[in-house]
Amino acid sequence: MEGNKIIIGGKIKRFSLYRVFEHQFVMITFAILVITGLSQKFHEYGLSQWIIIKLGGVDTVRLIHRSTGLIFALITIFHIIVASVGVIFHKWQASMVINKKDFTDAIDNLKYYFGITDHPARCDRYDYKQKFEYWGVVIGGLLMMATGFVLWFPTFFVKFLPGEFIPAAKAAHTNEALLAFLVIITWHLYNAIFSPEVFPLDTSIFTGKISVKRMKHEHPLEYERITGESLEHEHPGEESSTKQKPDPSD
Amino acid sequence: MLSRFAFLFKLVLVIFCLCFPAESIAVQSTPSGTADLCLGCHSNKDFTTKLKNGEDLSLFVNKDLLENSVHNMLDCSGCHSGFSPEKHPSRILENRRAYAVSGAAICKSCHTTFRTDLHGRMVKAAEKSGQYCVDCHGAHTVQPVSSQELREPRYCLGCHLNKLSMTFKNGEKQSVQLDHMILKTSVHNKLYCTDCHFGFSPEKHPIRQFKSSRDYVIASSESCRRCHFDKYTKTLESIHYSMLSQGNLKAPVCVDCHGAHSIGRAGQERTVSAKRCKKCHGEIYKIYSSSVHGSALFVDHNQDVPVCADCHRAHNIEDPRTFDYREKIPGMCGGCHANKELMDKYGLTTAVLQSYLQDFHGVTLKLYKKQKDTGNKITLKPIAVCVDCHGVHDITPTTGPKSSIVKANLVKRCRKCHPDATENFPDSWISHYKPSLKKAPIVYTINLIYKIFIPFMMVGLILQILLHIWRYVVNR
Repeated sequence: MEGNKIIIGGKIKRFSLYRVFEHQFVMITFAILVITGLSQKFHEYGLSQWIIIKLGGVDTVRLIHRSTGLIFALITIFHIIVASVGVIFHKWQASMVINKKDFTDAIDNLKYYFGITDHPARCDRYDYKQKFEYWGVVIGGLLMMATGFVLWFPTFFVKFLPGEFIPAAKAAHTNEALLAFLVIITWHLYNAIFSPEVFPLDTSIFTGKISVKRMKHEHPLEYERITGESLEHEHPGEESSTKQKPDPSD
Repeated sequence: MLSRFAFLFKLVLVIFCLCFPAESIAVQSTPSGTADLCLGCHSNKDFTTKLKNGEDLSLFVNKDLLENSVHNMLDCSGCHSGFSPEKHPSRILENRRAYAVSGAAICKSCHTTFRTDLHGRMVKAAEKSGQYCVDCHGAHTVQPVSSQELREPRYCLGCHLNKLSMTFKNGEKQSVQLDHMILKTSVHNKLYCTDCHFGFSPEKHPIRQFKSSRDYVIASSESCRRCHFDKYTKTLESIHYSMLSQGNLKAPVCVDCHGAHSIGRAGQERTVSAKRCKKCHGEIYKIYSSSVHGSALFVDHNQDVPVCADCHRAHNIEDPRTFDYREKIPGMCGGCHANKELMDKYGLTTAVLQSYLQDFHGVTLKLYKKQKDTGNKITLKPIAVCVDCHGVHDITPTTGPKSSIVKANLVKRCRKCHPDATENFPDSWISHYKPSLKKAPIVYTINLIYKIFIPFMMVGLILQILLHIWRYVVNR
């Protein structure tokens, strides 16, 4: 049975080690960038000043911010290269590409939340929420990288850009930073930690594995595709139906 | 033996009684004996006589003053010897001065001993200096030595209105002559000479040995702190004091700026304040005079503009080359340029301070300050402040023909920290303007988009989270 190869100990392998490390790196660099960046943005506040002084002054904070930004930029660029090469030459499934179904899924989920339908949208490997975050990080990251380098080397960039691009880059960098920070601490941390479905922590990005229960619940289309099982007769929103399934795989 | 002493005692007593008639010894509160008779004529205010040179000499004697004088127990003839109700010789004197001199000679008949210092010197030099007893002590109004009347400045000016000078060890001479008017118009006109010249009094006039006139000036300035201690302590923090303590005697002390006897009122015409600094800082004064502030002060007599002391302060003048001073500059300029009431008068915007403080340089400067306050010893880069673009003493208007100087300074200043800055690099500083569609439209648009997008996004996401929780709770 194909299912037995894929399901080990009630869990399905979801991420390769590369993706796990990639997330760890992004998580750490993002945290450092937020701490060193927002303390400069909100320099009036006592906490910001405390952080800056404790880190050894604003020059040190800027050095940390820029070095970390450089690491973040390298991770992002490497990610894009790997993804491009994978999709083009190794025929990887471009599972992060946004398609029409993501929009209908979002509407379906809203209907479910409001009680209009009795089951949530049935998603594939990545649901629309994950795609939103992924593209937020990629596009936001690219924007932060571009504006960040402009702010790091202003005299170089004004050689071929109008002077106003420097304050414009600052405006974009600082606003985008705030947006990214707010999205991460509300949306991402809710979905990864506080959501009742994963609380106290969605461990899949750290272990690389996801439980069959959650897989069936959150990514039924992918589950069906990789196991060949059909979940059509089940009601994905209900606890009782998902409880029965893990047993045969154990 | 004893009988011999008794005889001597009796003899002294007899001679004493013969010399001083009983009435003149008795201390009375009213002029004695013949005084009333004399005053019969001499209390007439219009009683005068003509002197040889045609001057009128008043013969009026103020009875009240006479009664209060220390000589009130003396008979008139005690001093005016040869005069009595019976005898009244008529004398013809040259002039009033000659009369005063002849009067002064009378004092010496009783006051035969003088203290060796001031009095001795004065009496000896009386003919040369033209200064006689009555010039200081008065005639009929003679006061006890302890009285206020006998105190300075009248007393000291007795000599110091004359051409006097003191000689220092190095041969320098300094005039110690005073102008009465200067004293009168000085802010200290209610003070006594000895309030500043302590150690001196009508009796004591110590001779001091100063190496040079500069030494004397520096020593004299020590007097000021007896009253102005707050100012004195401030000067201890000043660059002038630290120069002085390092042995530079040219460094200014109190009297160099404020003057000595001519000391004026603080807060008078601001030009006076500016001119004080000119004495040593002539070049800077010249540059300042042609700046937007200096020309307003000297040409338009505008009293709103800053003078030297407004930025450098009066007493605790700091070394302007330090980080601490640089850090204070935005606040200094902001003192006026962030004052709405004041700036409205000249149609200037007060946004200049905040727009600087919120920008990269302003923030860096502030954080450097915080860092330095914690005692961290880290080399701080010189961050651009107001004066780097606008000028220090040569601040020029930002509009009008001279405004191009500001722009030219900008590139030069940028290159100090950004050596490869191109000509258009200063454009990256959108001046003190708030971004708008006219000024910096790209910045304005980006800010506007995020202003709408961030709340829109956050409200949307939080609503989704709440819906998700709600659905979960309902399903349970």
